[in-house]
Amino acid sequence: MDWAPTGTGIILGYCVLFILYFPIVMLMILSFSGEPLTGIPGDWTITWYEDVIFADIARREGEAYGSNFRIGDPLLLSIMLAFITSAACVIAVLIVGPVLPRIRWRGPFLVGFLMPLMIPGIVGGVGLFMWYRLVIHVKMGVWSLVLAHFVWAFPFALLAMLVVASRFDTRLMEAAEDLGAKPWQRFWQIEIPILKPGIYAAGFFGFLLSFNELPFSIFMRAGQDTLPLYLWIQSGAHNTTVPLIYAMSTLVTVASVGLTFLAIRLAFGGQNANK
Amino acid sequence: MPTNELAQNASPAAGEAPVLYVERATHRFGDVVALDDVSITAQRGEFLTLLGESGSGKTTLLRIIAGLERPTRIGRIAIDGADVSAIPASRRNCTTVFQHYALFPHMSVGQNIEYGLRVRGVAREKRRKRAEGVLELVRLPDKYDRRVHQLSGGERQRVALARALVTQPSILLLDEPLGALDEKLRVDMQVELKDLHEQLGLTFIYVTHSQEEALTMSDRIILLRQGRVVQQGPPQDLFDRPASRFVADFMGVENLLEGTLESVTGEIAVVRLQGHALRGIWCGPRATEPGTPVCVAVRAERVRLATEQQGFVQGANGIPCRTGATIYKGKYLDQTLETDFGPVKARIWDRDTDLSDLAYVWWREGDCAVTPLGGVGTAGVGPAPIG
Repeated sequence: MDWAPTGTGIILGYCVLFILYFPIVMLMILSFSGEPLTGIPGDWTITWYEDVIFADIARREGEAYGSNFRIGDPLLLSIMLAFITSAACVIAVLIVGPVLPRIRWRGPFLVGFLMPLMIPGIVGGVGLFMWYRLVIHVKMGVWSLVLAHFVWAFPFALLAMLVVASRFDTRLMEAAEDLGAKPWQRFWQIEIPILKPGIYAAGFFGFLLSFNELPFSIFMRAGQDTLPLYLWIQSGAHNTTVPLIYAMSTLVTVASVGLTFLAIRLAFGGQNANK
Repeated sequence: MPTNELAQNASPAAGEAPVLYVERATHRFGDVVALDDVSITAQRGEFLTLLGESGSGKTTLLRIIAGLERPTRIGRIAIDGADVSAIPASRRNCTTVFQHYALFPHMSVGQNIEYGLRVRGVAREKRRKRAEGVLELVRLPDKYDRRVHQLSGGERQRVALARALVTQPSILLLDEPLGALDEKLRVDMQVELKDLHEQLGLTFIYVTHSQEEALTMSDRIILLRQGRVVQQGPPQDLFDRPASRFVADFMGVENLLEGTLESVTGEIAVVRLQGHALRGIWCGPRATEPGTPVCVAVRAERVRLATEQQGFVQGANGIPCRTGATIYKGKYLDQTLETDFGPVKARIWDRDTDLSDLAYVWWREGDCAVTPLGGVGTAGVGPAPIG
C-alpha cells in the first residue's frame, strides 16, 4: 500500500485549514479596519484598540469617552478566575494523578473523573446552578464561578497529568527510599521533577479553559461578568461597541496562543535534553 | 552430611559476629507464600548468593532485608548487630543495586551517584569528591556530567553500582544485577564484581537464578525453592554434593537415575537400579532406611566411555551400553548412550573418540552423588542454626 498523500487529499486538507482559520484571520484583519461591520477590510486604523484599552480607564476617571465598552472588571475577574482555577487544578491533579494509575479498580474512578468532558457545557451549567442554589446553597458570585470552572477544567488537567503519571516508574521511589530519602525528599526530589510536564500542562489547561469558559459562567455569574461573558453580551447588543469585540477577540487570541507556546516550552522544553 | 557445618566454617570471617541476621521471615502475597519461615545469616565481608528459580522467594528475601517489603511475620532482622525490623528502608545501613538499575532519569550520572549523600545533607564539594572516587572504582572516571540516557546498558549497571556504594553501606544487596546485560558483558561483569568485592571487603548479598553466576562469584550459596531453603554451603558443596534430586537438577546434573537405596556404609551408598548396584557418595540425611527411593546424580562430564577391550576401573560403576544420538555443541559433543535403565548422557571433548564399538559407560563412585528424592524441607538442610 502506498500511503503517500494524493492531490485531492492535500486540497481537502487545505480546505479544512482554510475553513478553520479564515474567520479568525479575517477577524484580525477587520479589527484594524475603519468599517469592520461591512466585512470589507481597508481604511486601516488602531482606533478600536484605543477604545478597548482607554474607554474603561477614561470612564473610571470620570471623563467622558465615546465608547461605553468597559473591559477592566471582566478582564480582571477572568484573569483572577483563571489563576485560581489553574492553581486548584495543579493541586488536585497532584493528589489524584500519581495515585490513579496504581489503583487496581481504577476504571470507575477514571470514568467518574473524566465524565464532565462529555457533558455539554449548558447541561453542566444548569445542573451545577440547581445543585449550588437549591441543595448546597452556595452563594452565586465569584466562588460559584471558581467551582464551576474547576469542575470544567479538572478533567482536562487530569488527562494531561495521567499521560505523564501513567509512565512514572514507581520503582524510582523505591530506589530513592533505599538510598536513604525520606518521604518528603522522595516527593520533592524525585516525583515532582519527573511529573513536571504534567504539572505544567495541568496548570495551563486550568488557566486557559477557565479564561475562555462561557456556558457554565452564564449560570454562575450572578452579577459578575467574565471576559467571554462580557464579549458575548456585547456582541448581542445593538450598539456601537461591536467593532471593539473584533479588537478584543484578537487580543485574547494572541494572548492565548502566546500562553500556549510558553506552556509547551515550559512543559517539554526540558525534555529535549533527555531524548 | 556436614553441609551445614561446612557452610558456617567456610565463611571468610568465621568467629566474628555475623553482619546480618534474618530470623524466621515469612511473607505472603495474598494466599501465596513467598517466603516460608526462612532464617539466614551473613558474615562480614562474605559474598553470599541467594539462588533459586523465579518464585522461589529470593528477591522477596532481599527486599525484606532492604526494608522495601514488610514481612508478614518476622522474628528479627539485624544489621551490624542492631535490630532493624521496625526501621524503614531509608534508615537501614544497606543499599540495593536493582536489576532494572532504577537510575533517576532527570539527573546526571553525578547527581544520581550523589543522591544518597545529598539526602544525608553532605556538602556539595564533598559529595562530588566521593562520587568521583566511586566512578573511578567502577571504571567510569569521565562520565560524571553525562545524562543517564546517554549510557550503554553496561555503563548504567556500573552507575547503579556506584550509587549504591557511595554511602558506604554495611551490606550491598544485588538483585540480579547482570540480568539485563548480554552474555559477554555478563561474564566480564562477574569478574569485575568479584574483584570489587575483594577490594572493598564489603558484604555482598547477591540474588540470581543462574547457577553459573552463583558458582563463579560466591563464598556461600543459599538455594531457595518455594520460599524455603533447600541447601546452603560453599559452591563446591552444592555442585558436587546436592542434598536432594531438586538441587542436583537445578545445579545442572544431566543424569538423574532413580533407584532404591540398598545400604549406606560410611560415605558410600549402594543403590539398586534395574539389577545393577551403583555406588556413590551419600548426600542425604544419616538415618535413611534401605528401600527408600533415591536418585543417582552424575554429571555428563564425569561419565566415561569404554570399549570391550578397555574395560573400566575396578570398583567403578560400569554399565553396558549402546551408542545413541550425538549432539554437536561446538566445544564438545553431547553423546547419549542407551543402557538398561534408559539414556545416559556423556560429554566428549576429544574429537578423535571412536564411538563405533563402545561397550560400557562408567564413572567413579566419588564422581557421583546419591540423594533423596524429596526436595523441600529435607531433614538436615533446613534453616541454618542461628548464633
